[in-house]
Amino acid sequence: MVGLLATAAQAEEPLIPRFVEETARSGVVSSYEGDWEYMVGGGVAAFDCSGDGFPDLAFAGGTSPASLWRNTSETGGPLRFEPVVSGIEFAAVTGAYPLDVDGDGVQDLLLLRQGESVLMRGLGNCRFERANEPWGFEAPEAWSSAFSATWEDGADWPTLALGTYIDAKEEFFPWGSCTDNLLYRPEGQKFAAPMPLRPSHCALSMLFTDWDRSGAPSLRVSNDREYYKGGQEQMWRLPPGEAPSLYTEEEGWKYLRIWGMGIASRDLDLDGYPEYALSSMADSKLQTLTQVPQDGNAPRPDFSDVAYPRGAIAQRPYTGGDVRPSTGWHVEFADVNNDARPDLFIAKGNVDQMPDFAAEDPNNLLLLREDGTFLEAGLEAGVASMEVSRGATLADLNLDGLPDLVVTNRRTKAQLWRNTTAEAGHWLELRLEQPGPNRDGVGAWIEVRLPDGVHPREVTVGGGQAGGSMGWSHMGLGGAQEAEVRVLWPHGETGDWETLDADGFYVLSPDTPARPWTPD
Amino acid sequence: MGFLKGLAAVAMMSLAVAAEARPSAEEVLGLDTRLALELTRHTPTTSPPVASRAFAYLYVTAYEAVAGGSDDLVTLAGQLNGLEALRPRETGATYDDRVVLQAALSAVMSALYANTGPTGQRALARMAERLAEGVAEGLPPDVVERSRAQGEAVAHHVLAWSEGDGGAVVENMGFPMAFDLPKGDGLWQPTSRIVQQQLPLLPNWGGNRTFAMPDGASCALPPPPAFSTEEGSPFLEEAREVLEVRRGLTDEQRAIARFWSDDPMLSSTPPGHWISIATQVLDAEDAGLERRVEVLAKLSVAMSDAFVGCWHEKFRFNLIRPVTYIRAHLDQAFEPLLITPPFPEYPSGHSTQSGAAAAVLTAMFGEGFAFSDATHEDDGLPARDFPSFWAAAEEAGISRLYGGIHFRSAIEQGLEQGRCVGAYAVGLRTRL
Repeated sequence: MVGLLATAAQAEEPLIPRFVEETARSGVVSSYEGDWEYMVGGGVAAFDCSGDGFPDLAFAGGTSPASLWRNTSETGGPLRFEPVVSGIEFAAVTGAYPLDVDGDGVQDLLLLRQGESVLMRGLGNCRFERANEPWGFEAPEAWSSAFSATWEDGADWPTLALGTYIDAKEEFFPWGSCTDNLLYRPEGQKFAAPMPLRPSHCALSMLFTDWDRSGAPSLRVSNDREYYKGGQEQMWRLPPGEAPSLYTEEEGWKYLRIWGMGIASRDLDLDGYPEYALSSMADSKLQTLTQVPQDGNAPRPDFSDVAYPRGAIAQRPYTGGDVRPSTGWHVEFADVNNDARPDLFIAKGNVDQMPDFAAEDPNNLLLLREDGTFLEAGLEAGVASMEVSRGATLADLNLDGLPDLVVTNRRTKAQLWRNTTAEAGHWLELRLEQPGPNRDGVGAWIEVRLPDGVHPREVTVGGGQAGGSMGWSHMGLGGAQEAEVRVLWPHGETGDWETLDADGFYVLSPDTPARPWTPD
Repeated sequence: MGFLKGLAAVAMMSLAVAAEARPSAEEVLGLDTRLALELTRHTPTTSPPVASRAFAYLYVTAYEAVAGGSDDLVTLAGQLNGLEALRPRETGATYDDRVVLQAALSAVMSALYANTGPTGQRALARMAERLAEGVAEGLPPDVVERSRAQGEAVAHHVLAWSEGDGGAVVENMGFPMAFDLPKGDGLWQPTSRIVQQQLPLLPNWGGNRTFAMPDGASCALPPPPAFSTEEGSPFLEEAREVLEVRRGLTDEQRAIARFWSDDPMLSSTPPGHWISIATQVLDAEDAGLERRVEVLAKLSVAMSDAFVGCWHEKFRFNLIRPVTYIRAHLDQAFEPLLITPPFPEYPSGHSTQSGAAAAVLTAMFGEGFAFSDATHEDDGLPARDFPSFWAAAEEAGISRLYGGIHFRSAIEQGLEQGRCVGAYAVGLRTRL
């Protein structure tokens, strides 16, 4: 009995992860430069462009050129990168999202820009070429600030959402000058002319997500209330072949107005439906369905904010002595200690000498406890950077089963931390690969069955703050040395449950057993 | 013509473009007013009480800048609490009133909205630069220099005066870092799930120096109905009224609640709404500069005093909000239409300051002055028509009941408190 109690008590507090900063030795030198026109953005993308399985990194540079860094780390070793002349070295890049547009098995890259956004076709070996014209991607001269992509049912070409911000030419009264967000649907093997998503409310993050598990993703848009008039948070319904329409208050959508900066999703309570973390200023939101449907009924798009009772807050610095409110940007879930519970990272930093808000604003690392609440561990974990942060990624850069951390900073160098947590739990890293278009299975749900329930994870492109990742989906397993895994492929079949040994990499394809993969 | 046309195109200003190259003083005031309303909305510090204070100092500055060169207007020095005589213009020297006003407004605005973010700072700087160039066009350099110095002197005098009123420094967006929150039946408790709002906004604001009325206690109110959960008690009945109105909310009531919601950081706040009303009315009658600064100064002074008086009473009675009471005793699922503000309930701040505004505007424009209010058209809310300023104030008040954030007593007593506060501003002597 005593032993059981001790175990329960220990289970209440999660294992504090340990991150070691390796910025200097990593070789990465990138900072997000620029003044007012670059106060938002600054994303980083993690994806494998070299074909060795290790995530490479693409950084937005603002007024400096964007940069691409090939990962030369060894498995479990220090983080090492080398610069690559890749063809993405544009100025005015505000963000980057990888996706395989043409299904050739090589990641392409969307570059958000202050000006015309650019779709870069991956050529292999970390080389890219502009593909706006051949792919019919008509990008406006705009302050581009958000992106997401999906493959609609039956489509063999992706649907893109491009979010834009304010009209930078408005010197005196930029408020209320939000420009159109655009929806690009396929037209054969290219994009049709974009459709404006009106009303647009200065989007800073977008995410196609299957919030109701219907199999047809909707588009969540997080908007910056600083600049819109008559705006709010939005979610668009996209019936295939039909015009998009907004979910309404009558349907349950709440009239929520925040300084929306980033979106992240993950099912935290294992009810099958994702929770959504929204970063903002002075506080963050953690949304969960107000009512989980029973008996197969569809849920209403009615979300309640549970950030405060669950401690998923980032309202002011938790260390450093600056007591002013915080400014949150990139937000991402990742199980950093492999306890089978997704943790929440929030990159933070002042907009730009905004006196009402903290200047010394440490990034948050919120560890999910067994009871559903979060524990702030940024300082103890070693990631409480006081730089003015923007974008981030929690990709496993050295393929040791622990998510590492990259954070971009405004006007100073991006930082890299290696996750060296000892005694972390077991893990799986899974990558989807299906034949034909949408090779990465965007829109699929990966389900991992553990003793406490099914842990689902949606494969998405979008969200965060101006940057995203593609590649290995990391799942912590806690003490489990094996787990059952299956994939609910987008718009298609449900794979069989398959038992996989822990602590390994697997490539999952439809109708075939999981294929183990080992770093060379 | 060139700069103003360009500015007008960019700003979509409603003011008519002047025939000459230089902007008129009315245009300078109009553009800076529009910018002040935007900065109020987009500066997190400017909660409604803080916004009202900024408007008051802004328009006292405008008034004194104009009065200094006027044969009709009388200085407010010696009438407003603590405001000492301003530096007069040099006898016999030539001044340009537009330059004086522009310099005064730019200087005072950069200080009053110092906490605004990078976009606001950029707009402030560009507006000051472009207007300064515009008003100086074609003038002798010595006149420009003298006039600019005079305007800045007015601004600095007002800003120095403002430093000692108790409201000059606002930290953490007005939420105290520590506060001994009284606990007990019927007392306010946090209603928000935002961490910062677990303590009430600006608990000491009621002790600030007032402008025209003697102090924050000058328009004291009777207590609200005694807290009770007993059937038939006035308190329970008022709570039940809020609940029943919410349950049967009509489209018109919903529209009224949204129209007067005036949330901080999502609008120019309640005092900004009334500044907007006054500006629309002044534009409609094509008012001259002296009339404009006279109206705006009295109005803003009244509203700032209203917030001090209202906050004085709010923290004297520290009353529970409807959402807390109703969920505890009547309906656990009660959801107000509007966001419940993070401070005590009684009296209603919007009601008090709307009453004060109505008192001033009625005195300035007359009883039964009908007008149309298009303040929120940019936000997609259509204009509303009112037969009088008091009708608008009463609608602003009752909107808080429709919104589920106030009991009836807080509204009715708030309007009465506003009437009392407004009388002090009405009593200011502005004309010879």
